[in-house]
Amino acid sequence: MIEIEHLTKSFGRVQAVKDLSLTIPQGELFCFLGPNGAGKTTTIKLLCGLLKPTSGTIRIRGLDLKAEPAAVHRLIGYIPDTPYLYERLTPLEFFQFIGDLYQVPPAQVREARDKYFALFAMEDYAQTLIKDLSHGYRQRLIYAATFLHQPKVLFIDEPFIGLDPFSIRLIHDLLRQTARAGTTIFLTTHILAFAEQLADRIGIISGGSLSGLGTLAELKALSSVQGALEDVFLRLTRPEGN
Amino acid sequence: MHGVAVLLRKDACVLGNLSVLAREQSVFKGVFILVFAGAMLGGLWYLFLEGFQFLGNLGGIGVMLIHHLFALCFFGLGLMLVLSNIITTYTTVFHSEEIPFLLCRPIAPGEILLHKWLETTLISSWAFFLIIVPFIGAFAWHERLSALFMLWTFLFSIPLVLLYAGVGMLLTILVLRFAPRWRARLWVGIALLGLIGWGGWLLLGFGKTPTDDVAFILERFVPGLKVAAFPLWPSAWVAEGIVALSRGQWLRGSLLFGVLLANTLMVALLVEAAGNALFVQTWLRTRAAFRQGAPARPIAAPVPATRLTFLAHDARALVIKDVRTMARDPAQWIQGFLFFGLLTLYFFNLRNLHYHLLSDVWRNLITFLNIFSLAAVMCSFSSRFIYPQLSLEGQAFWLIGLGPTTMGRILKIKFLSALVGMLAISVVLMTVSTISLAVGWRVWLTTMGLAVAMSLGLSALATGLGAVFLDLKQRNPMSIISGFGGTLNLALSLVYLAAVILPFGALNHYYVLGRIGSGDLRTGMLAASAWLIIATLAATFLPLFSGKRSLLRRDY
Repeated sequence: MIEIEHLTKSFGRVQAVKDLSLTIPQGELFCFLGPNGAGKTTTIKLLCGLLKPTSGTIRIRGLDLKAEPAAVHRLIGYIPDTPYLYERLTPLEFFQFIGDLYQVPPAQVREARDKYFALFAMEDYAQTLIKDLSHGYRQRLIYAATFLHQPKVLFIDEPFIGLDPFSIRLIHDLLRQTARAGTTIFLTTHILAFAEQLADRIGIISGGSLSGLGTLAELKALSSVQGALEDVFLRLTRPEGN
Repeated sequence: MHGVAVLLRKDACVLGNLSVLAREQSVFKGVFILVFAGAMLGGLWYLFLEGFQFLGNLGGIGVMLIHHLFALCFFGLGLMLVLSNIITTYTTVFHSEEIPFLLCRPIAPGEILLHKWLETTLISSWAFFLIIVPFIGAFAWHERLSALFMLWTFLFSIPLVLLYAGVGMLLTILVLRFAPRWRARLWVGIALLGLIGWGGWLLLGFGKTPTDDVAFILERFVPGLKVAAFPLWPSAWVAEGIVALSRGQWLRGSLLFGVLLANTLMVALLVEAAGNALFVQTWLRTRAAFRQGAPARPIAAPVPATRLTFLAHDARALVIKDVRTMARDPAQWIQGFLFFGLLTLYFFNLRNLHYHLLSDVWRNLITFLNIFSLAAVMCSFSSRFIYPQLSLEGQAFWLIGLGPTTMGRILKIKFLSALVGMLAISVVLMTVSTISLAVGWRVWLTTMGLAVAMSLGLSALATGLGAVFLDLKQRNPMSIISGFGGTLNLALSLVYLAAVILPFGALNHYYVLGRIGSGDLRTGMLAASAWLIIATLAATFLPLFSGKRSLLRRDY
């Protein structure tokens, strides 16, 4: 469960996130949409502790992020749009490293490795240096490694960038299964069709403020648009006067 | 300490994989780098040994100097280590994409910083060991010390480098965390004012203590001896401790080692404490710095585009882009600033050192040693900044490639802009050196000729080889420099510099010693000048030609 209360982040005079309040229950797949520069990535970084809020509180499964960052970090998984990977490790070594970092028992690491390497068709690349992997395989690896410690809350920034149709389908299904198993997922995307298919609820941020929140049906009602999510999105994020 | 242990295990894996990476490289490249490193170590050892023998032959004060030099070496290298670690910490901790990755993992910030401390020590201390090995080897050889001397040196060096690196890291964190958020221009202004003030203070002689004791005479010969020998300074513990252990004074040696170790461990505790208390806020502050206040106005180029109308459109675009990119990356220009700042300080203080009052033989020696110092710094500068400039265009190279210009012109513009920078620095510094040393017009003309030639040769070698060994995938300049092309550039630059400076130095030296007459000198200088022109033309045109051909042939 993610609880955000009156979250504000200012960079000098610029308010990137304005008084955001939001509760995402356990097991929900929440899609956070917004135009470029709306504050999506800033919000995700705030939720992961990579940015310090100017004001407001963040609680992850009841734990205050400010007071107990290490305990929160044990619970969460974060996949940025361009994830950092150690180029001179092999995927197998990277997987082992993440297992070590999260103190996952070795037997569980082996089991997860077999499962996720098979799922992401990575067995043939397990011993290749990460620097030699294509973008798609790097993304697959970061997904596999993120699922290793079985996070209770997952933050994903643009999950489908640079992936082939096979990987997109794979991640699409995996995210659904993971949410059904009780993991809360908070993701941002510009691909509205996926948000339409995947999301339990959708939040739309524009200019740092939440301009829409709810299920697709609720958003349609809110925006008085009966078309696709794209039309709803355009209506809710359109600058005034346009 | 679980986090540090995990990160060290990861590092062990990375080290293990270096063998895989090494196998991907060509045998020729490996052999070349090994031979070059061996020759460099051997050459340095020989030069240090010659220096010790020269001082030994002087007798009296020379012998005393040898023993003081040991402490001075650790002191000077220590200062360089602190400076180097400040830069390394800024780039590898505060500019690293690894930090956000680690900050959202269950690992304490103090442990992240402890690990980074070990990593930055390793990165910044390799040069320390590269210099210390031949220096200590030559010292031990000259003093006929046992092989154990080397062992004690390594035993002391490890905590010493950790200590200095820790100090550098702590200073960086404190400055980044608490320094007021003034614009970079203001900081540069303050630094310049400080340097000018210090230079003036030294020039006016306020720092002098009128005394005629031996320490004063030694200090006159080699400035810094007194500070380096201060008993509470780590370099003094190391110098004395190594000698004590080598002479079998176990108690004294162990005491000094214990003091050093205790201080290093104290620094480790401080690094961890600073990590837990300050690191996250400092990192967030550096990340947010550019967004403070009004939308930040980036550092402007020193020369506005409107003033460069005499340049062709493509040259103006490239020059302005390069200057702006460089000016907005403090990690880049701070290194250049340090490279030449230290040398400028030294050159501007030549008068204060009273070298102009020495005999012709010494002044001539110092003049050519100054040329070598300048040449070495220019060589480092060209390897560090000019060589990687084409590769650093990176993925955006296609933008330039598709522009209404040619690869040949791009190379020419890069070369000429590098040359202008090199010329400005080298000619000014050599003028200051020769005026301060009050040398004759012949030596002045020689140094000016060498400064111009070195600027040409080094700029062309670095630009041309940078084009031949273009690496558009690499974003880290250090990785570009440490590759085969970077090493080849460094090796060829050093060979070129030695080849052009030595004939002039030897001729002038033998002339002031009276071993050759003015007729021989004239003939020799003509021959050396012809050699300088031929070598410089070769060092200029061959790499540029190869670079142009390589740029035209490759796929982008």
